[in-house]
Amino acid sequence: MSAYDEVEIEDMEWNAELKAYTYPCPCGDLFQITLDDLRLGEEIARCPSCSLFLTVVYNAEDFADAKEPTTQKPSPSPVAVA
Amino acid sequence: MAAAALEERRWREPEDEAAADWAWSWGAGTDGQLGNGGFDDHHLPQPLLLPTRCRGRVSFVAGGGAHAIALTSDGEVFTWGRGTHGQLGHGNLDNIPHPKLVKFLENHTITCVSAGWNHSGFATDSGQLFMCGDGSFGQLGTGDNLSRNFPFEVAYFNGRYIEKLAFGMRHSLVLLKDNSVYGFGSARRGQVGKCVSRNQKTDNVPKLIDGFPNCKIVNIYANGDHSAAVDESGHLYIWGRPLIGEDDDDQPRRILPSLSVSQVALGWHHALVLSAGELYTLGVYRHQKCDLPGSGNVLVQQSNTRATSSSHDRSSSLSMLETVPFIDGEHVVQIASGTEHSALVTDKGSVFTWGWGEHGQLGLGDTSDHVAPQRVDIGDNGQRMSGSLAVYCGSGFTVAVKLP
Repeated sequence: MSAYDEVEIEDMEWNAELKAYTYPCPCGDLFQITLDDLRLGEEIARCPSCSLFLTVVYNAEDFADAKEPTTQKPSPSPVAVA
Repeated sequence: MAAAALEERRWREPEDEAAADWAWSWGAGTDGQLGNGGFDDHHLPQPLLLPTRCRGRVSFVAGGGAHAIALTSDGEVFTWGRGTHGQLGHGNLDNIPHPKLVKFLENHTITCVSAGWNHSGFATDSGQLFMCGDGSFGQLGTGDNLSRNFPFEVAYFNGRYIEKLAFGMRHSLVLLKDNSVYGFGSARRGQVGKCVSRNQKTDNVPKLIDGFPNCKIVNIYANGDHSAAVDESGHLYIWGRPLIGEDDDDQPRRILPSLSVSQVALGWHHALVLSAGELYTLGVYRHQKCDLPGSGNVLVQQSNTRATSSSHDRSSSLSMLETVPFIDGEHVVQIASGTEHSALVTDKGSVFTWGWGEHGQLGLGDTSDHVAPQRVDIGDNGQRMSGSLAVYCGSGFTVAVKLP
Protein backbone atom coordinates (compact mmCIF):
# COMPACT_ATOMS: atom_id res chain seq x y z
CA MET A 1 0.00 0.00 0.00
CA SER A 2 1.26 3.44 -0.85
CA ALA A 3 1.06 6.73 1.03
CA TYR A 4 -2.26 8.50 0.83
CA ASP A 5 -0.61 11.82 0.17
CA GLU A 6 2.55 13.83 0.63
CA VAL A 7 2.50 16.85 2.91
CA GLU A 8 5.13 19.41 3.80
CA ILE A 9 5.83 19.82 7.50
CA GLU A 10 4.89 23.48 7.30
CA ASP A 11 1.37 22.48 6.33
CA MET A 12 1.06 20.35 9.45
CA GLU A 13 -0.17 21.77 12.75
CA TRP A 14 1.61 21.24 16.06
CA ASN A 15 -0.83 19.70 18.52
CA ALA A 16 0.45 20.25 22.06
CA GLU A 17 -2.03 17.76 23.51
CA LEU A 18 -0.97 14.94 21.21
CA LYS A 19 2.63 16.18 21.20
CA ALA A 20 2.66 15.61 17.47
CA TYR A 21 2.45 17.37 14.17
CA THR A 22 -0.93 16.63 12.63
CA TYR A 23 -2.71 16.86 9.30
CA PRO A 24 -6.36 16.04 8.51
CA CYS A 25 -7.01 12.42 7.54
CA PRO A 26 -9.87 11.81 5.11
CA CYS A 27 -11.56 9.59 7.71
CA GLY A 28 -12.07 12.60 9.99
CA ASP A 29 -9.21 11.89 12.39
CA LEU A 30 -5.65 13.26 12.18
CA PHE A 31 -2.43 11.94 10.71
CA GLN A 32 0.24 12.28 13.40
CA ILE A 33 4.03 12.31 13.62
CA THR A 34 5.87 13.02 16.87
CA LEU A 35 8.92 15.18 17.35
CA ASP A 36 10.87 12.06 18.30
CA ASP A 37 9.88 10.46 15.00
CA LEU A 38 11.10 13.54 13.16
CA ARG A 39 14.38 13.62 15.10
CA LEU A 40 14.92 10.02 14.01
CA GLY A 41 14.25 10.86 10.41
CA GLU A 42 10.88 9.09 10.23
CA GLU A 43 8.82 10.21 7.22
CA ILE A 44 5.52 8.52 7.86
CA ALA A 45 2.59 10.14 9.69
CA ARG A 46 -0.07 7.63 10.68
CA CYS A 47 -3.75 7.97 11.47
CA PRO A 48 -4.73 6.14 14.68
CA SER A 49 -8.21 5.42 13.29
CA CYS A 50 -7.50 3.91 9.89
CA SER A 51 -5.02 2.24 7.57
CA LEU A 52 -3.96 5.38 5.72
CA PHE A 53 -0.63 7.15 6.16
CA LEU A 54 1.11 10.25 4.85
CA THR A 55 4.60 10.95 3.67
CA VAL A 56 5.93 13.99 5.49
CA VAL A 57 8.35 16.20 3.61
CA TYR A 58 10.85 18.02 5.82
CA ASN A 59 14.50 18.83 6.17
CA ALA A 60 15.95 16.31 8.64
CA GLU A 61 18.62 18.77 9.77
CA ASP A 62 15.91 21.15 10.95
CA PHE A 63 14.66 18.53 13.37
CA ALA A 64 17.86 16.89 14.56
CA ASP A 65 17.83 18.93 17.77
CA ALA A 66 14.32 20.34 17.50
CA LYS A 67 12.42 21.34 20.62
CA GLU A 68 8.67 21.36 21.07
CA PRO A 69 7.19 24.31 19.26
CA THR A 70 5.58 26.73 21.66
CA THR A 71 3.61 29.15 19.56
CA GLN A 72 3.97 27.78 16.10
CA LYS A 73 0.47 29.05 15.41
CA PRO A 74 -2.07 30.85 17.52
CA SER A 75 -3.55 28.00 19.47
CA PRO A 76 -7.24 27.44 18.91
CA SER A 77 -8.53 29.26 21.96
CA PRO A 78 -12.11 29.91 21.03
CA VAL A 79 -13.45 33.33 21.82
CA ALA A 80 -16.93 33.57 23.25
CA VAL A 81 -18.85 36.38 21.68
CA ALA A 82 -22.19 37.10 23.23
CA MET B 1 -22.83 16.23 33.78
CA ALA B 2 -26.25 15.74 35.35
CA ALA B 3 -27.52 18.86 33.66
CA ALA B 4 -26.24 17.65 30.32
CA ALA B 5 -27.93 14.30 30.80
CA LEU B 6 -31.15 16.01 31.75
CA GLU B 7 -30.96 18.28 28.77
CA GLU B 8 -30.37 15.32 26.52
CA ARG B 9 -33.37 13.50 27.91
CA ARG B 10 -35.58 16.53 27.62
CA TRP B 11 -34.45 16.97 24.09
CA ARG B 12 -34.91 13.40 23.05
CA GLU B 13 -38.03 12.29 24.82
CA PRO B 14 -40.72 13.57 22.50
CA GLU B 15 -38.66 13.14 19.37
CA ASP B 16 -37.13 9.72 19.30
CA GLU B 17 -39.84 7.39 18.20
CA ALA B 18 -40.58 8.57 14.72
CA ALA B 19 -37.02 9.47 13.86
CA ALA B 20 -36.24 6.11 12.37
CA ASP B 21 -37.77 6.36 8.94
CA TRP B 22 -36.88 9.74 7.48
CA ALA B 23 -33.25 10.63 8.29
CA TRP B 24 -30.23 8.32 8.39
CA SER B 25 -26.46 8.44 8.74
CA TRP B 26 -23.59 5.95 8.46
CA GLY B 27 -19.78 5.77 8.43
CA ALA B 28 -17.16 7.23 10.79
CA GLY B 29 -18.78 8.16 14.08
CA THR B 30 -16.16 8.51 16.79
CA ASP B 31 -16.72 12.26 17.21
CA GLY B 32 -20.51 11.93 17.24
CA GLN B 33 -20.80 12.99 13.61
CA LEU B 34 -23.47 10.37 12.87
CA GLY B 35 -25.88 12.26 15.14
CA ASN B 36 -27.33 8.94 16.29
CA GLY B 37 -26.56 9.46 19.97
CA GLY B 38 -23.33 7.47 19.94
CA PHE B 39 -19.61 7.73 19.28
CA ASP B 40 -19.04 4.64 17.12
CA ASP B 41 -18.63 3.88 13.45
CA HIS B 42 -21.65 2.27 11.78
CA HIS B 43 -21.56 0.30 8.54
CA LEU B 44 -25.30 0.43 7.97
CA PRO B 45 -27.74 3.38 7.97
CA GLN B 46 -28.67 4.51 11.49
CA PRO B 47 -31.53 6.80 12.49
CA LEU B 48 -30.26 10.38 12.57
CA LEU B 49 -31.84 11.95 15.63
CA LEU B 50 -33.18 15.16 14.16
CA PRO B 51 -36.34 16.35 15.94
CA THR B 52 -39.55 14.99 14.44
CA ARG B 53 -40.77 18.51 13.78
CA CYS B 54 -37.99 18.76 11.15
CA ARG B 55 -39.43 15.87 9.17
CA GLY B 56 -39.84 16.91 5.56
CA ARG B 57 -38.26 20.28 6.31
CA VAL B 58 -34.56 19.51 6.09
CA SER B 59 -33.43 21.39 3.00
CA PHE B 60 -29.67 20.79 3.25
CA VAL B 61 -27.03 19.04 5.32
CA ALA B 62 -23.41 20.22 5.27
CA GLY B 63 -20.80 17.65 6.29
CA GLY B 64 -17.41 18.75 7.64
CA GLY B 65 -14.35 16.88 8.88
CA ALA B 66 -16.31 15.30 11.71
CA HIS B 67 -19.29 17.59 12.25
CA ALA B 68 -22.47 18.33 10.37
CA ILE B 69 -24.99 21.13 9.99
CA ALA B 70 -28.65 20.58 9.06
CA LEU B 71 -30.65 23.48 7.65
CA THR B 72 -34.45 23.47 7.59
CA SER B 73 -36.66 25.12 4.98
CA ASP B 74 -37.72 27.73 7.50
CA GLY B 75 -34.20 28.70 8.41
CA GLU B 76 -33.43 26.75 11.57
CA VAL B 77 -29.98 25.25 12.04
CA PHE B 78 -28.89 22.11 13.91
CA THR B 79 -25.28 21.01 14.44
CA TRP B 80 -23.67 17.86 15.82
CA GLY B 81 -20.36 15.95 15.90
CA ARG B 82 -16.90 17.28 16.70
CA GLY B 83 -16.91 20.57 18.57
CA THR B 84 -13.23 20.87 19.52
CA HIS B 85 -12.76 24.23 17.80
CA GLY B 86 -16.20 25.68 18.49
CA GLN B 87 -17.48 24.62 15.08
CA LEU B 88 -20.90 23.58 16.46
CA GLY B 89 -21.63 27.17 17.54
CA HIS B 90 -23.06 26.28 20.94
CA GLY B 91 -20.54 28.33 22.92
CA ASN B 92 -18.36 25.42 24.03
CA LEU B 93 -15.88 22.87 22.71
CA ASP B 94 -17.93 19.73 23.33
CA ASN B 95 -18.51 16.90 20.89
CA ILE B 96 -22.26 16.31 20.62
CA PRO B 97 -23.62 12.98 19.32
CA HIS B 98 -27.09 14.28 18.39
CA PRO B 99 -28.36 17.26 16.39
CA LYS B 100 -28.77 20.36 18.53
CA LEU B 101 -30.44 23.62 17.60
CA VAL B 102 -27.99 26.50 17.29
CA LYS B 103 -29.72 28.85 19.71
CA PHE B 104 -27.48 31.77 18.86
CA LEU B 105 -29.07 31.91 15.41
CA GLU B 106 -32.67 31.57 16.62
CA ASN B 107 -33.54 35.14 15.71
CA HIS B 108 -32.14 34.78 12.21
CA THR B 109 -33.53 32.94 9.23
CA ILE B 110 -30.64 30.95 7.78
CA THR B 111 -30.68 30.28 4.04
CA CYS B 112 -27.32 28.63 3.44
CA VAL B 113 -24.76 26.67 5.51
CA SER B 114 -21.37 25.11 4.88
CA ALA B 115 -18.87 23.06 6.88
CA GLY B 116 -15.09 22.87 6.49
CA TRP B 117 -12.72 20.55 8.31
CA ASN B 118 -13.34 22.30 11.66
CA HIS B 119 -15.27 25.44 10.74
CA SER B 120 -18.89 26.35 9.98
CA GLY B 121 -20.71 29.16 8.21
CA PHE B 122 -24.30 30.39 8.13
CA ALA B 123 -25.82 32.95 5.74
CA THR B 124 -29.05 34.72 6.67
CA ASP B 125 -32.02 35.83 4.59
CA SER B 126 -30.82 39.40 5.04
CA GLY B 127 -27.48 38.49 3.48
CA GLN B 128 -25.36 38.42 6.65
CA LEU B 129 -22.58 35.88 7.16
CA PHE B 130 -21.90 34.22 10.51
CA MET B 131 -18.89 31.95 11.10
CA CYS B 132 -17.61 29.77 13.92
CA GLY B 133 -14.97 27.11 14.58
CA ASP B 134 -11.28 26.93 13.71
CA GLY B 135 -9.89 30.25 12.53
CA SER B 136 -6.21 29.41 12.64
CA PHE B 137 -5.84 29.68 8.87
CA GLY B 138 -7.99 32.81 8.63
CA GLN B 139 -10.87 30.70 7.35
CA LEU B 140 -13.44 32.63 9.43
CA GLY B 141 -12.72 35.81 7.45
CA THR B 142 -12.66 37.90 10.61
CA GLY B 143 -9.33 39.59 9.99
CA ASP B 144 -7.60 37.53 12.67
CA ASN B 145 -6.66 33.89 13.19
CA LEU B 146 -8.77 33.29 16.28
CA SER B 147 -11.26 30.45 16.67
CA ARG B 148 -14.81 31.18 17.79
CA ASN B 149 -17.34 28.98 19.55
CA PHE B 150 -20.38 31.15 18.89
CA PRO B 151 -21.36 32.28 15.40
CA PHE B 152 -19.61 35.58 14.71
CA GLU B 153 -20.73 38.02 12.03
CA VAL B 154 -18.13 38.71 9.37
CA ALA B 155 -18.05 42.51 9.34
CA TYR B 156 -16.25 42.65 6.02
CA PHE B 157 -19.51 41.89 4.21
CA ASN B 158 -21.65 44.49 5.99
CA GLY B 159 -24.08 45.94 3.50
CA ARG B 160 -23.42 43.18 0.96
CA TYR B 161 -25.66 40.18 0.41
CA ILE B 162 -24.22 36.68 0.81
CA GLU B 163 -25.97 34.13 -1.36
CA LYS B 164 -23.93 30.91 -1.18
CA LEU B 165 -21.16 29.35 0.91
CA ALA B 166 -18.69 26.57 0.13
CA PHE B 167 -15.94 25.59 2.55
CA GLY B 168 -12.92 23.39 2.00
CA MET B 169 -10.52 21.90 4.50
CA ARG B 170 -8.97 25.20 5.57
CA HIS B 171 -10.56 27.75 3.27
CA SER B 172 -13.91 29.41 2.64
CA LEU B 173 -15.63 30.66 -0.50
CA VAL B 174 -18.67 32.93 -0.61
CA LEU B 175 -20.83 33.97 -3.54
CA LEU B 176 -22.47 37.38 -3.27
CA LYS B 177 -25.70 38.48 -4.85
CA ASP B 178 -23.72 40.98 -6.93
CA ASN B 179 -22.09 37.97 -8.62
CA SER B 180 -18.68 38.33 -6.96
CA VAL B 181 -16.85 35.37 -5.42
CA TYR B 182 -14.67 35.93 -2.34
CA GLY B 183 -12.23 33.58 -0.67
CA PHE B 184 -10.39 33.48 2.65
CA GLY B 185 -8.35 31.04 4.70
CA SER B 186 -5.50 28.84 3.54
CA ALA B 187 -4.00 30.13 0.32
CA ARG B 188 -1.28 27.48 -0.02
CA ARG B 189 -2.63 25.84 -3.15
CA GLY B 190 -4.28 28.83 -4.80
CA GLN B 191 -7.69 27.84 -3.45
CA VAL B 192 -8.63 31.39 -2.46
CA GLY B 193 -7.26 32.96 -5.61
CA LYS B 194 -4.21 35.10 -6.26
CA CYS B 195 -2.07 36.26 -3.36
CA VAL B 196 -0.21 39.52 -3.10
CA SER B 197 3.04 37.69 -2.41
CA ARG B 198 4.16 34.20 -3.23
CA ASN B 199 5.00 33.51 0.38
CA GLN B 200 1.58 34.32 1.69
CA LYS B 201 0.05 31.20 3.18
CA THR B 202 -3.23 32.45 4.55
CA ASP B 203 -5.66 35.29 4.03
CA ASN B 204 -7.83 36.17 6.99
CA VAL B 205 -9.57 39.04 5.22
CA PRO B 206 -12.00 38.12 2.41
CA LYS B 207 -10.54 38.80 -1.00
CA LEU B 208 -12.22 39.02 -4.38
CA ILE B 209 -11.45 36.07 -6.66
CA ASP B 210 -11.36 37.44 -10.17
CA GLY B 211 -10.65 35.88 -13.47
CA PHE B 212 -14.16 34.71 -14.26
CA PRO B 213 -15.36 35.75 -17.69
CA ASN B 214 -18.38 37.99 -17.83
CA CYS B 215 -20.94 35.47 -16.66
CA LYS B 216 -23.43 34.86 -13.87
CA ILE B 217 -22.03 32.43 -11.29
CA VAL B 218 -24.84 30.24 -9.95
CA ASN B 219 -22.97 27.92 -7.60
CA ILE B 220 -19.66 27.47 -5.79
CA TYR B 221 -18.03 24.31 -4.41
CA ALA B 222 -15.08 23.51 -2.17
CA ASN B 223 -13.49 20.51 -0.45
CA GLY B 224 -9.93 19.71 0.57
CA ASP B 225 -7.80 22.35 -1.14
CA HIS B 226 -10.06 22.46 -4.21
CA SER B 227 -12.40 25.23 -5.32
CA ALA B 228 -14.96 25.30 -8.14
CA ALA B 229 -17.76 27.38 -9.57
CA VAL B 230 -20.49 26.86 -12.18
CA ASP B 231 -22.06 29.65 -14.23
CA GLU B 232 -25.55 29.93 -15.62
CA SER B 233 -24.51 28.34 -18.91
CA GLY B 234 -23.21 25.26 -17.12
CA HIS B 235 -19.55 26.18 -17.57
CA LEU B 236 -17.32 24.69 -14.89
CA TYR B 237 -14.36 26.59 -13.40
CA ILE B 238 -11.84 25.09 -11.00
CA TRP B 239 -8.85 26.45 -9.08
CA GLY B 240 -6.64 25.47 -6.14
CA ARG B 241 -5.00 22.07 -5.86
CA PRO B 242 -5.20 20.35 -9.24
CA LEU B 243 -7.80 17.69 -10.00
CA ILE B 244 -6.24 17.27 -13.41
CA GLY B 245 -2.64 17.93 -14.31
CA GLU B 246 0.12 18.69 -11.83
CA ASP B 247 0.11 22.37 -11.00
CA ASP B 248 -1.78 24.41 -8.46
CA ASP B 249 -3.83 27.17 -10.04
CA ASP B 250 -4.66 30.43 -8.27
CA GLN B 251 -7.06 31.53 -10.97
CA PRO B 252 -10.42 30.02 -11.97
CA ARG B 253 -9.95 28.04 -15.13
CA ARG B 254 -12.71 26.67 -17.30
CA ILE B 255 -12.52 22.93 -17.82
CA LEU B 256 -14.59 20.33 -19.69
CA PRO B 257 -15.90 22.85 -22.23
CA SER B 258 -18.00 20.21 -23.95
CA LEU B 259 -20.17 19.69 -20.87
CA SER B 260 -23.11 21.66 -19.56
CA VAL B 261 -22.67 21.09 -15.85
CA SER B 262 -25.67 21.01 -13.54
CA GLN B 263 -24.09 19.67 -10.33
CA VAL B 264 -20.59 19.27 -8.91
CA ALA B 265 -19.37 17.40 -5.83
CA LEU B 266 -15.74 17.71 -4.75
CA GLY B 267 -13.65 15.25 -2.74
CA TRP B 268 -10.04 15.65 -1.66
CA HIS B 269 -8.65 14.09 -4.85
CA HIS B 270 -11.67 13.58 -7.07
CA ALA B 271 -14.73 15.37 -8.32
CA LEU B 272 -18.14 14.24 -9.55
CA VAL B 273 -19.72 16.18 -12.38
CA LEU B 274 -23.32 15.77 -13.50
CA SER B 275 -24.03 16.95 -17.02
CA ALA B 276 -27.15 16.25 -19.07
CA GLY B 277 -27.96 13.33 -16.83
CA GLU B 278 -24.54 11.73 -17.28
CA LEU B 279 -22.28 11.35 -14.26
CA TYR B 280 -18.52 11.77 -14.66
CA THR B 281 -15.59 11.51 -12.27
CA LEU B 282 -12.47 13.57 -12.48
CA GLY B 283 -9.24 12.77 -10.65
CA VAL B 284 -8.62 9.66 -8.58
CA TYR B 285 -9.58 8.07 -5.33
CA ARG B 286 -6.29 8.24 -3.45
CA HIS B 287 -7.17 5.60 -0.91
CA GLN B 288 -7.48 2.98 -3.61
CA LYS B 289 -6.07 -0.38 -2.74
CA CYS B 290 -7.29 -2.03 -5.88
CA ASP B 291 -7.14 -0.88 -9.45
CA LEU B 292 -10.11 0.25 -11.40
CA PRO B 293 -11.75 -2.46 -13.50
CA GLY B 294 -10.09 -3.24 -16.75
CA SER B 295 -6.71 -1.92 -15.74
CA GLY B 296 -4.94 -5.11 -14.83
CA ASN B 297 -4.69 -7.60 -12.07
CA VAL B 298 -7.14 -6.48 -9.46
CA LEU B 299 -6.09 -9.00 -6.88
CA VAL B 300 -2.37 -8.40 -6.94
CA GLN B 301 -1.95 -4.88 -8.18
CA GLN B 302 -2.01 -2.25 -5.50
CA SER B 303 -2.62 0.99 -7.22
CA ASN B 304 0.16 3.37 -6.42
CA THR B 305 -1.42 6.61 -7.48
CA ARG B 306 1.95 8.33 -7.50
CA ALA B 307 4.01 5.93 -9.51
CA THR B 308 1.79 3.48 -11.34
CA SER B 309 2.18 3.32 -15.07
CA SER B 310 -1.37 2.18 -15.64
CA SER B 311 -3.77 4.33 -17.58
CA HIS B 312 -5.05 5.69 -14.29
CA ASP B 313 -1.97 7.38 -12.99
CA ARG B 314 -1.84 11.05 -12.27
CA SER B 315 0.32 12.05 -15.17
CA SER B 316 -2.31 10.85 -17.60
CA SER B 317 -5.09 12.37 -15.58
CA LEU B 318 -5.98 14.77 -18.35
CA SER B 319 -7.86 11.82 -19.73
CA MET B 320 -9.27 11.03 -16.32
CA LEU B 321 -12.79 12.08 -17.16
CA GLU B 322 -14.68 8.85 -16.80
CA THR B 323 -18.33 8.03 -17.11
CA VAL B 324 -19.64 6.36 -13.99
CA PRO B 325 -21.18 3.05 -14.96
CA PHE B 326 -24.78 3.00 -14.01
CA ILE B 327 -27.96 0.99 -13.88
CA ASP B 328 -30.35 1.05 -16.80
CA GLY B 329 -33.62 2.74 -16.18
CA GLU B 330 -32.52 4.93 -13.29
CA HIS B 331 -31.31 8.48 -13.64
CA VAL B 332 -29.02 10.39 -11.33
CA VAL B 333 -30.79 13.36 -9.77
CA GLN B 334 -28.40 14.35 -7.00
CA ILE B 335 -24.72 13.78 -6.10
CA ALA B 336 -22.52 14.21 -3.05
CA SER B 337 -18.90 13.53 -2.17
CA GLY B 338 -16.93 12.90 1.00
CA THR B 339 -13.16 13.03 1.06
CA GLU B 340 -12.74 9.65 -0.65
CA HIS B 341 -16.24 8.35 -1.21
CA SER B 342 -19.19 9.35 -3.35
CA ALA B 343 -22.96 9.10 -3.20
CA LEU B 344 -25.91 9.68 -5.49
CA VAL B 345 -29.69 9.55 -5.52
CA THR B 346 -31.68 8.34 -8.52
CA ASP B 347 -35.06 9.46 -9.80
CA LYS B 348 -36.45 6.24 -8.33
CA GLY B 349 -35.33 7.34 -4.88
CA SER B 350 -32.46 4.89 -4.54
CA VAL B 351 -29.22 5.84 -2.81
CA PHE B 352 -25.96 4.54 -4.26
CA THR B 353 -22.45 4.87 -2.80
CA TRP B 354 -18.94 3.99 -3.92
CA GLY B 355 -15.28 4.73 -3.16
CA TRP B 356 -13.50 4.28 0.19
CA GLY B 357 -15.38 2.16 2.69
CA GLU B 358 -13.02 1.58 5.61
CA HIS B 359 -15.31 3.28 8.13
CA GLY B 360 -18.57 1.99 6.73
CA GLN B 361 -19.18 5.28 4.93
CA LEU B 362 -20.68 3.35 1.99
CA GLY B 363 -23.42 2.00 4.27
CA LEU B 364 -23.23 -1.48 2.74
CA GLY B 365 -22.74 -3.37 6.00
CA ASP B 366 -18.99 -3.81 5.72
CA THR B 367 -15.74 -1.87 5.24
CA SER B 368 -15.03 -2.78 1.62
CA ASP B 369 -14.10 -0.28 -1.07
CA HIS B 370 -16.13 -0.18 -4.28
CA VAL B 371 -15.23 1.24 -7.67
CA ALA B 372 -18.80 1.21 -8.99
CA PRO B 373 -21.94 2.61 -7.34
CA GLN B 374 -23.65 0.15 -4.97
CA ARG B 375 -27.26 0.35 -3.88
CA VAL B 376 -27.69 1.21 -0.17
CA ASP B 377 -30.54 -0.37 1.73
CA ILE B 378 -31.55 2.44 4.01
CA GLY B 379 -34.11 0.38 5.86
CA ASP B 380 -37.16 1.43 3.95
CA ASN B 381 -38.17 -2.21 3.65
CA GLY B 382 -37.45 -2.23 -0.02
CA GLN B 383 -39.95 0.48 -0.82
CA ARG B 384 -38.51 2.93 -3.23
CA MET B 385 -39.24 6.43 -2.25
CA SER B 386 -40.01 8.05 -5.60
CA GLY B 387 -37.16 10.53 -5.85
CA SER B 388 -37.85 11.93 -2.43
CA LEU B 389 -34.43 11.52 -0.84
CA ALA B 390 -31.35 13.67 -0.64
CA VAL B 391 -27.87 12.45 0.24
CA TYR B 392 -24.98 14.40 1.78
CA CYS B 393 -21.42 13.53 2.82
CA GLY B 394 -18.93 14.61 5.45
CA SER B 395 -15.30 13.49 5.34
CA GLY B 396 -15.89 9.87 6.32
CA PHE B 397 -19.64 9.71 6.78
CA THR B 398 -22.88 9.95 4.84
CA VAL B 399 -26.34 11.33 5.61
CA ALA B 400 -29.63 10.64 3.79
CA VAL B 401 -32.81 12.61 4.41
CA LYS B 402 -36.32 12.11 3.12
CA LEU B 403 -37.69 15.16 1.38
CA PRO B 404 -41.33 16.34 1.60
